[in-house]
Amino acid sequence: MRASEVFEVTMEHLLLVGISVAVALAIATPLAILLLTRARLRRWTLAAVNVIQTIPSLALFGLLLPIPLIGGVGKQTAIIALVLYALLPIVRNIVVGILGVDAGVRESAVAMGMTASQVLWQVEVPLAIPTILAGVRIATVATIGTATIAAAIGGGGLGTFVFRGIASANMTTVLAGAIPAALLAIIADEVLEWLERRLSY
Amino acid sequence: MARTTVVLLSVLLAAAGCSHKPRVVVGSKNFTEQVVLGEIIAAQIERRLGVEVDRKLNLGGTLLAHEALKSGSIDIYPEYTGTALTAVLRQPPIKDSKAGYQKLQDEYRKWQLEWLPPLGFNDSFAMVVMADVAREQNLKTISDAVKRPWKLGVGYEFVERPDGLKGMQEAYGLKLNGEPVTMDLGLLYQALRSKKVEMAAANATDGMLAHQEFTILEDDRHYFPPYECSLVVRGQILQQFPQLKGALEELSGKISNETMRKLNAMTDIDHKAAADVAREFINTWK
Amino acid sequence: MPSYHRWTSRIKVNVPALIEFREVAYRVGGRDILRGVNLTIEDHETLVLLGRSGSGKTTLLKMINRLLEPSQGTITFQGKALSDWDPIRLRRSIGYVIQDGGLFPHHTVEQNVGLVPRLENWPVEKTRARVKELLEAVGLAASTYGARYPRQLSGGEKQRVGIARALAADPVLLLLDEPFSALDPVTRFGMQKHFAELTKSFGKTAIFVTHDIREALMLGTRIAVLKDGRIELLVSPKEFAKADTPEAMAFLGTLEGGAHAGV
Repeated sequence: MRASEVFEVTMEHLLLVGISVAVALAIATPLAILLLTRARLRRWTLAAVNVIQTIPSLALFGLLLPIPLIGGVGKQTAIIALVLYALLPIVRNIVVGILGVDAGVRESAVAMGMTASQVLWQVEVPLAIPTILAGVRIATVATIGTATIAAAIGGGGLGTFVFRGIASANMTTVLAGAIPAALLAIIADEVLEWLERRLSY
Repeated sequence: MARTTVVLLSVLLAAAGCSHKPRVVVGSKNFTEQVVLGEIIAAQIERRLGVEVDRKLNLGGTLLAHEALKSGSIDIYPEYTGTALTAVLRQPPIKDSKAGYQKLQDEYRKWQLEWLPPLGFNDSFAMVVMADVAREQNLKTISDAVKRPWKLGVGYEFVERPDGLKGMQEAYGLKLNGEPVTMDLGLLYQALRSKKVEMAAANATDGMLAHQEFTILEDDRHYFPPYECSLVVRGQILQQFPQLKGALEELSGKISNETMRKLNAMTDIDHKAAADVAREFINTWK
Repeated sequence: MPSYHRWTSRIKVNVPALIEFREVAYRVGGRDILRGVNLTIEDHETLVLLGRSGSGKTTLLKMINRLLEPSQGTITFQGKALSDWDPIRLRRSIGYVIQDGGLFPHHTVEQNVGLVPRLENWPVEKTRARVKELLEAVGLAASTYGARYPRQLSGGEKQRVGIARALAADPVLLLLDEPFSALDPVTRFGMQKHFAELTKSFGKTAIFVTHDIREALMLGTRIAVLKDGRIELLVSPKEFAKADTPEAMAFLGTLEGGAHAGV
């Protein structure tokens, strides 16, 4: 196993994580905004996403396999599972972040004649960014870990080394998968946390 | 008060430790055939010896199972001669099955482990392609296939093992289209069907091969050694249970390639529970 | 509608009251917060709504810029029913100041003060000039304070920015909800004086909610005493000293030396 192989697989892993978090963000944002004003729908949606989280990761991969179009062996099934997992922390934090904006600030914004859309995009979202980023951070770090399971269904990534290492009782191979994964998680956590602090008011 | 508690706790812990009734622990690796064999062994022991059997099936790979056996976590598991020689003993493969078997018996005795006589089938690595692809491109042997690169699907062991990918590429000059795609063995046929991979390093007795959809490419250069399946057992457990050897040797020679493939198909295609398949099988003889 | 005759440079004009409340009630969660309120507010006055917590004074205030809608009754603003006003246009003509200022933490002082002008698409230069003018008017040098963030300001400074912001687009009316309550007495006194000068020099109409009798007497041209959702008394500060209604007297009793309105 050469260094270039580890590098390639790490890039593959990053790709899985990057695409999944990006898609989750793209779905979560309009979804969360929709939920801001609909308390009942919000409760149901958050409950549903919560349930998805409780499904053990390997099981979710397994559940998606037989579904036509989105299932089957390979990356897209893995990405769909990873997106589903990343939804909860992101949706919840967008909602909590926006609803948690100081009531006085929100009231002032309305009282000065900002439209609902202006209040949302010029006041609430910018102030909610640290909380939203925290959600993205949690989702990213978790996805880096969960993405190792993708190897079981042909999704590639650092899990490939872990599974192969276990099967051949080769600790070096296992570590070749585990260490980069851990490093990725740490780096992602640090970078996003720094970003959170930079954007806090 | 404190003293009483400590005494009580110690008694409880000791009791928990000795609550072992005599039992046998059966292990297996983590693909269908192994699980079915594990259930067959367990069912056989249960009906012949009437002792409790613990099943530790689905262990994550050859070396894991081997370590479990050596350390006594499991007492028996089914292994293949070729695999044991190359992956466990890290020796060059031996083409002569008798010589290979002898070597294994000698080496394993050093660990107080015994190889029982073979069950009767040879589960070799098999390079599999879709039957229509084989027809279109006129492929019968692996040598036929090397004229073009292939997107290869593999389980967790094929890439790492000395009797796996590397040796095969050396023996045949097979070219790959990109890195091999790793996945759980059970998914290889799905991957072939959905064209996610073009060739799979599967196993010769896989249930799915009962379907006419798939073709095994003949190993014309005889690269793969024999992989005869036998039971590997801890010597100690054979001593502990004198009737155990006899019960297990009953299975020798009873499972041909055909039979194994059929049993695998019942589990993989008909989705019967491995335990049920096992019980039905051993009931075919008294 | 009732009109109020005024002399304005020898021309007699019928000017409708700026705001009129008619039989306004507000009920929420089974509780009556406001009951049958009738009130007229004139241009250029500073009307103080004085009352205890729960008296309905803030609720009354918030109905004017439609942050709350009455359960009953009508309110008119500049002669037009509030319900006929576009809420956005309405609010942009009304300045709103709350305790703690409600400043946007992610905007600079300059951006905060210039908010409504920007919403109204004023030219950049005009906005900048206006912000400078107002900051100086509230006693904050634009060059020093303009680029600061609210978290870098003291309580008094925040309130001053809040007032500057409320005045920025030259609104017809100012609504203030206990703006100085959270300040220390010394700062508060300074702000009160400053505010009185500001409203006079800018010629603004203001409605000021407070529970502080001294503040009411100091700032109001008229004082409305609220109790349990009703206006108990509506008089000038001078007449307040002689008030004989229960709630008014209760407030007077809190002044040193009893019923003595020292301003």
